[in-house]
Amino acid sequence: MEKLKTREKKVLYGNHAVSYGVKVSRVQVISAYPITPQTPVVELLSEMCGKKELNATFVNVESEHSAMAVCIGASISGARVFTATSSQGLLLMHELLHWATGDRLPIVMAVINRAVAAPWSIWSDQNDTISQRDTGWMQIYCESNQEVLDSIILAYKVSEKVFLPTMIVLDAFILSHTAEPVEIPSQEEVDNFLPPLVLPWALDPQKPVAIGAVVSPSGPYMELRYKIQKAMEKALEEIENASLEYESITGRRWGVFEEFMMDDADTVIVVSGAISSTFKYTVNEIRKEKNKKIGVLRMRVLRPFPFVKLREILGDRKRIIVVDRNISFGSGGVFFNEIRSCLYNLKRRPKILGYITGLGGRDITPKDIYDMIEDAEKRKGEEDIIFFGLKEENINL
Amino acid sequence: MSERIHYKNIDELPEIALSVGSTRVLKTGSWRNVKPVIEDKAAPCTKACPIGTKIPQYFYHTIEKDLDKAADILLEKNPFPAITGRVCPAFCQIGCNRKRFDERISIREIERFVGDYILERGYKVKNLPSDTGKSIAVVGSGPAGMAAAYYLRRAGHKVTIYERESLPGGVLRYGIPPYRLPKDILDKEFEMLLNMGIKIETNRELSKDLDLEELRKNFDALFIATGAWIEKKMKIEGEELFLSGVHFLKEFNTGKDISRFKGKKVACIGAGNVAMDVVRTLKRINAKPEILYRRTEAEMPALEEEREKAKKDGIPFHLLVLPIKAKEKNGKTVLTIQRMQLGEPDSSGRRRPVPVEGSEYEEEYDFVIKAIGEESDRKLLPPEYLGEDGWPYADKKTAATKVKGVFAGGDFIQGPSTVVEAESWAQKAAESINRYLKGEDLTIKESVPKTVSYMLIKTDYFKKEKAIHPFELTVEERINSFEEEVKTLSDELAIKEAKRCFSCGYCNSCGNCFVYCPDMAVLWKDSRPLIDYDFCKGCGVCASECPRGIINMV
Repeated sequence: MEKLKTREKKVLYGNHAVSYGVKVSRVQVISAYPITPQTPVVELLSEMCGKKELNATFVNVESEHSAMAVCIGASISGARVFTATSSQGLLLMHELLHWATGDRLPIVMAVINRAVAAPWSIWSDQNDTISQRDTGWMQIYCESNQEVLDSIILAYKVSEKVFLPTMIVLDAFILSHTAEPVEIPSQEEVDNFLPPLVLPWALDPQKPVAIGAVVSPSGPYMELRYKIQKAMEKALEEIENASLEYESITGRRWGVFEEFMMDDADTVIVVSGAISSTFKYTVNEIRKEKNKKIGVLRMRVLRPFPFVKLREILGDRKRIIVVDRNISFGSGGVFFNEIRSCLYNLKRRPKILGYITGLGGRDITPKDIYDMIEDAEKRKGEEDIIFFGLKEENINL
Repeated sequence: MSERIHYKNIDELPEIALSVGSTRVLKTGSWRNVKPVIEDKAAPCTKACPIGTKIPQYFYHTIEKDLDKAADILLEKNPFPAITGRVCPAFCQIGCNRKRFDERISIREIERFVGDYILERGYKVKNLPSDTGKSIAVVGSGPAGMAAAYYLRRAGHKVTIYERESLPGGVLRYGIPPYRLPKDILDKEFEMLLNMGIKIETNRELSKDLDLEELRKNFDALFIATGAWIEKKMKIEGEELFLSGVHFLKEFNTGKDISRFKGKKVACIGAGNVAMDVVRTLKRINAKPEILYRRTEAEMPALEEEREKAKKDGIPFHLLVLPIKAKEKNGKTVLTIQRMQLGEPDSSGRRRPVPVEGSEYEEEYDFVIKAIGEESDRKLLPPEYLGEDGWPYADKKTAATKVKGVFAGGDFIQGPSTVVEAESWAQKAAESINRYLKGEDLTIKESVPKTVSYMLIKTDYFKKEKAIHPFELTVEERINSFEEEVKTLSDELAIKEAKRCFSCGYCNSCGNCFVYCPDMAVLWKDSRPLIDYDFCKGCGVCASECPRGIINMV
C-alpha cells in the first residue's frame, strides 16, 4: 500500500520515461513492433508485463500496421491501449491512424522523431510526425524526459475526454537515449488523476454493431468530420484544464506553449522539441551580452493548432523567427507556414521568417543560433523558405 | 433493410458511424477470384505403406484416446497390426516427413500399441456385409493367406483356409523366432479370424491331399499363397552337408530339440533376414554362430536393425568370403573359403563379388547352415500357371494368375519379402476377387491422391522433439532368453509420440484456418473447418497457415 503512495525519482532515458508513464497510466493492452530508436520503450514494457508489474496484454505483431490494428481492436473493446513507433514504422501505420480517429478512439502512441528514408537516417527530425499531421491525431512535442513521462499521463486524460488519439513526440537519441532525472508520480496520484476509461461505444457482444460501415454522400459523413474538428477545438481547452489539474498534484505544468523571456520580447523565436533548450540557453546568453529584446516560444501542441492563443502571443511583436526541423517539399517549414497563415488576418502583422534546419539529425549549436538571429535581422521578411546550415564541404566534394 | 434515424441536433448524432443492421447481406464472397478448397491428401507414410494404412487418421483418434475408432481405421487396411507392429520394416517411417525436421515418428511402435489393444478387444468388424453366397478357398495360412481371408470375409464371402502344417501361420509361426514375435500373439490373431467365421483346415497340402482342380470346382475363386520355403542351391561340392536356414527355424519353432547346437561352432552362409534369425536364435542357446557373407555390410539384404542387433549380440561377421567347397572330417565340416572383392554393379544394383585369386583358406565348423535365399515350389502348380521364366506367375496389380478364378500372391510369387508386402498381395487379390465375382474388369483404376511434401508443412507450428523409442531388453538379457526383446509403448508414450505427427494432409482440427480467417469465413462444423463461400474473399490466409497442406487455392 505504501508503495502506491510513493513518488519515485529515477534517472531515465526518454524511452524509459515513456514506459514508466505507460505503467502508471495502467494501460491494459500494448502492441508494438520494434524500430530504432523506439525499441527500448517496448522492451521495458514487455519486461514490466512479464514481471506482472504492469497488468497488460502485450501483443507481438509482424508490422506497425498490425500493431495499430491491434490497438484499434483493443481500444474499441474499451481497453486503454498504447503503442510506440518511429519514422518508417509510423508511415506504415498511416492508413490506420485515420481509422483510429474516425472511430474516435483515445489511443496514445509515443513517436520517437526520426528522419525518413531515403537515404537511411536514424537521427532526429520531425518529418515522420509532420507527415501525419492531417490524420486527426493530437500531436504533443516534448523537450525533456520529465515532460515525456508527464505527457503520456496527460495524453490519456485529454484523449479520453474528447475521444481523439494522441501522439507524444520525442526526439531520437537527444531524448530517447539520453538519461535525465525524472520524477514518477505515485500510482495513487495517477489513479486519482486518471480514472479508468469509459468508452461509450465499446463493443458489447450482446449488442452486435458494425463500426465504420459505409456512409453515403447524403449520410452524416461530413457531419462526423465536423464533430472531429469540434473535438479538436475542445481538446485545446482540455489540455489546459488537464495541465492545471496536473500542476496542482505535481507542481509541473505543461500547457499548449512554453514562454521563455517573452514579456518584453520584440523578436520571438518559435521552436519545438528538444532543440528548444539550446535556443533558450542561447537567448539567455544574448540577453546578457547585447541587451536584445528576444524571447523563445516553444510550441508543444501542433494539433490541435492553437490559433487564438498564438495570435494573442505573437500579434504585436516585431519579428518572428520560426525554426522548422522538417520540410514540406515544394512548400516549406510546416510550423512556419501554419503560423504565418494564422497571423494573416491581423491588421498589423509582424515580420515572419521561416528557417529549415537540423534535418537528418544535424546538430544546432549556440553558434548556429547566433548566426541565425544575425541573419534574420538583415532580412526584410520576403522569403517563403530559408535553408539554414547547408554545409559547404558537403556540396564541394 | 435500412431505416433512417433522425437526430435533433449535431450533439445527438453519435461520434462514430455505427450500424446495427447486419453486414451479412453483403456477400463479400463475390469479390473473390481464387477460392480455398479443403482437400485431405495422402501423407507420405501412407503412400510408402504397401497396404496404404491411414496413419495420420488413426493417430488422430489415438491422441483423442478413442482407441476403438483408431482400431477400426487401422483394421480397414491392416488385419494384423499387432504382428506388423512388431516385424514390419516400416516403410512408412522411411517416408515420414518429420525426419527432415528432427526425427521420424515411431509409427510402427504406435501401430503395435493399437494392435495390442485390438488383440484385447477383438476385431468387432462393424457392418460386415450380408453373405454374398460366394465361397473362396485360400491355400496357405501365412501372412498373405491370412490377410486375404480377412479381406474376403469382410467383403461378405465364405472363406476356407487350407494349411499343410498342423498349425496355421506359415512363416509367422515357423520362421520368425519368438523373441521377435511371440506365438501367443499369432494364436490370438487366428482366434479373431475364426471368430469372424473363417474356416481353417490344417494338414492339407496342395498336390498331395488337396487337388487344385477340385478346389476350382468347389469354390467360386481361389487364392494361392504357399510362400517360399525351398532353400536355394549354391551348386558347390559338399553342399549336402549343409542344413537349411528355414528348416532350422522351423525345427526350432515347432519345439524340436536343438540342443545339439549348444556350445558348437556354426557357420551361417548368407546375410538376409533368415540368416539373422538363425544366428540370433543360435546365440540364445549358447551356440557360437558366425555369419559368412560374400559382400559387405552395405549390400546385406537383412533389415538394418536386425543386422545391428546381431552385431551387438556378439556374432562375428566374416565379410567378402564365399565357401566354395565342403568336406566332412571327424563328424565336422571343413569349408574351403574364397576371399572376395567388390566389382561392377550387377542387375540388382549391388556391386558384384569377384573372387580374389589364390586367397582360399580352410575353416572347420561343427555345423554349416545355408540361408542364401528361398524360392517357391514350382512343382506345386501345373504348367499353365507358370510364367515365361518357369516360375509361378500372378499379375502384380491384380494378383490374377493365367487361370480364370485363380489368384496368387505373397512370397509364393514375389520370393522372400515382408509381412506387409504379403498383406498387400492379399489386398489386391481380395479386390480382384470381388470384381471377378461381380463379373467386372479386374484392372483397378486408382485415383491417386496428391502427397503432401515436406515443403507444404508449416514447420513453424512445431517444436523440435526427439522420437520416442520403445523399451528393449539389454544385450545380456536378450542373448540368454527367448523373451520378446522389444516392448510395447505405454499409453502415455504412444500418445505422446502420436502427438509428434505432423498429420500431413489430414485435418486434425487444429483450428488455425478458423482462427486466422480475417473474414470469419471459416466455419467450424463437427470439429472440422467448412469454408463459407458467401463471405470468403479468397485471401489465402487459411491455406498459408494450414500446418499440414490441406487447403488448396484454386
